[in-house]
Amino acid sequence: MDSKVMLDIRNYSKSYGGDKKAADDVSLSVMSGDIYGFIGHNGAGKSTTIRAVVGVLDFTDGDIYIDGHSVKDEPMECKKITAYIPDNPDLYDNLTGIQYLNFVADVFGISASDRGERIKKYADLFEITDSLGDLIGSYSHGMKQKVAIISALIHDPKLLVLDEPFVGLDPKATFTLKEIMHEMCERGTAIFFSTHVLDVAEKLCNKVAIIKQGRIIASGTMEELTEGHSLEETFLEAENEQ
Amino acid sequence: MNSNNILLFKTLLLSTSQRNIFKYTTDKKKKKRIILAYVGLACLYAMLVGYSYLTTVGYGKFGLIGSAPALCALIISLLAFVFTFFKTNGYLFNFREYDMLMSLPFEASTVAACKFLYMYVKSLPYYLCISISVMVGYGKYAHPSVIVYPIWIILTPFIPIIPMLFSAFIGFLIARISSGFKKNNLIQTILTFAFVIFCFSLRYIIEYVFREDKLQETMDNLSQVTDDAASVYLPAKWFADSITKLGISDMLLLVGVSLVLFALIFRIVGRSYRNINSSLKSHAAAKNFRMTDQKKHSVEQAIAFKELKRLMGSTTYMVNGAMGEILAALLGIVTLIVGFDKIVAVVTQNAPFDYAMVYPAIPLIVYFFIGMVATTACSPSLEGRNYWIVQSLPITKTTLYKGKMLFNMYLSVPFMFFAILCLCISAKVSLIDMVLFLALGFVLCAFSTTWGCVCGIKHMRLDWENEVEVIKQGSAVAIYMFPNMFAVMILCVLVVIAGQYADQRVVTLVLILIAGLLSALSYKRAIKLAEKEG
Repeated sequence: MDSKVMLDIRNYSKSYGGDKKAADDVSLSVMSGDIYGFIGHNGAGKSTTIRAVVGVLDFTDGDIYIDGHSVKDEPMECKKITAYIPDNPDLYDNLTGIQYLNFVADVFGISASDRGERIKKYADLFEITDSLGDLIGSYSHGMKQKVAIISALIHDPKLLVLDEPFVGLDPKATFTLKEIMHEMCERGTAIFFSTHVLDVAEKLCNKVAIIKQGRIIASGTMEELTEGHSLEETFLEAENEQ
Repeated sequence: MNSNNILLFKTLLLSTSQRNIFKYTTDKKKKKRIILAYVGLACLYAMLVGYSYLTTVGYGKFGLIGSAPALCALIISLLAFVFTFFKTNGYLFNFREYDMLMSLPFEASTVAACKFLYMYVKSLPYYLCISISVMVGYGKYAHPSVIVYPIWIILTPFIPIIPMLFSAFIGFLIARISSGFKKNNLIQTILTFAFVIFCFSLRYIIEYVFREDKLQETMDNLSQVTDDAASVYLPAKWFADSITKLGISDMLLLVGVSLVLFALIFRIVGRSYRNINSSLKSHAAAKNFRMTDQKKHSVEQAIAFKELKRLMGSTTYMVNGAMGEILAALLGIVTLIVGFDKIVAVVTQNAPFDYAMVYPAIPLIVYFFIGMVATTACSPSLEGRNYWIVQSLPITKTTLYKGKMLFNMYLSVPFMFFAILCLCISAKVSLIDMVLFLALGFVLCAFSTTWGCVCGIKHMRLDWENEVEVIKQGSAVAIYMFPNMFAVMILCVLVVIAGQYADQRVVTLVLILIAGLLSALSYKRAIKLAEKEG
């Protein structure tokens, strides 16, 4: 399988007024088939970067390309091949789970048979099928997260962007999501996700970037970065060096 | 509109549809609440229909029925403009599901346009009630040809579009300007207040500008006023001429301009939409906090402080919740500068009577502004998703609502006192009367606070998608506001009349007693409701 750059962040910066930058000259590339971990402290700039990647947050400096399309200039082209799972999914509480999934499937123009098959597959995997007829407002945080994940997988994206995807998931669902990520990666999907759980990142990712105060302080393949140490040690060392 | 736009629009409607909740919820209490809300809404529509029809009948009886179509278009346009302005910030910008929608393949202009259309469709039933009632009255007195009725019905949905678009565009400009500032929320609130105050004073500015043109004489003729206003505001003229002259060009103009403006405005809005929302949804972090000595407060004080931060943190809440206080303060300042008697003369259009008659109504005049909204009416619902915080804290609901009531008193009393003092100084009211008025003002604030709290707890709604739903359109706020405002207007008249037959101080004392009693009863009720909640 030919590998190509699916996500290319070039000199991206974002400031919220004043001199302090939430993201400062961030550059990284995620290839198809990569599972790319994005790690850093709270407030390091992970979510800011992720929200800019998925076209939610505006930015002035640098550019972000998804499969060769600029997020700034061709946002629709980018969004059509990207799926985003936020850390705290704000879904429509007054829709049922199935109404929401159908809404997303309609947006992406998924045929009735494909969506039926995918929803069933993932809903069964996440053991949420029985609850799809209930209002999302009645769901727990984890259940909402599962619906958000299914909605992201429904259109078989080329780039999957996840912000702290394992927060709120039960152990079984965490395992299922990791399996799905592996399966997608084998099919050539690029996965870019932020996490605090370094053990997970170490086992799951082939590449990783460490961000501190908006700047990338280390990045590369897991082997290059850790050089035989654990990711936790590497992370703490990189943090201290800076 | 392409299929994705329709899909998004339909989903926005479905996402707040009470029918959808009713269909799928298993919570019987929720179902009951939805039925009651529908009944309340039906009553509101019935009142609106009755009021609009009777107004038209009045026009008919005085031989002014020819102005009814223009009047109908003007009223709908004015309501659409005002209500859209207060809702724009919450609906178009900074809404909860922004991230989710913007990450899906929708153009920014599509999201903004669908949000606007959502706002439009939600308010359309109110405008239809007004329009259809006026049409029935018009039919009764003007006996128009049969073709007028379908034209009226077809054109009605177009009447509110242009004013709503203008209003939304002003909201957009304010958000656009504010987004360039570090403290964008504050700037947005200030600009919004400035615009509202400008609108309030527009009538007097126009009157001042045209005084030489004998505007006063024109004002005497109600029909003339309507026609003049319609001639200035072209969409109203287009509607009126479509009805009275069956002008095809007027019909096309109303429909065409509405659609072109819609497309144009959302093309412009779409360009800056992401930029504005990015700015409004982000908060600059100074990261320069230094730990100093912290102060201890009582639980009620802590809750009151939390309420203050909640109010100041949201432009929508601030504009709606503190508008009365700001207007009251402005009234006080303007009165000090212009003079109480002159203001009364302007408002009553130089009616020949002794303005001292109005003095006993001073606290009620101020209360008309301050009592418009009580934060206690919407703050229980505003807890929304954060309700778990107060639920999990080791405080009783009684303490929680006491804190909320305390905050409304902190907010309303200083403004009430300031405005009353300004009005009293300007009117040269005696010291004893001033003290009595301040006492009445205080008791009225207490009534507003406690009655608001009763409505807020009784009609609490936590499952809102957008805070506008509970700040502007919540049943708690409506139930608080309407009887309150009508009662104040009636009381104002009664106090002025009673002052002619009895000692004005006795009248004020009686009012203090009545308002005090009502406050005590409301407070008792609020505490009882709080205890019931746990």
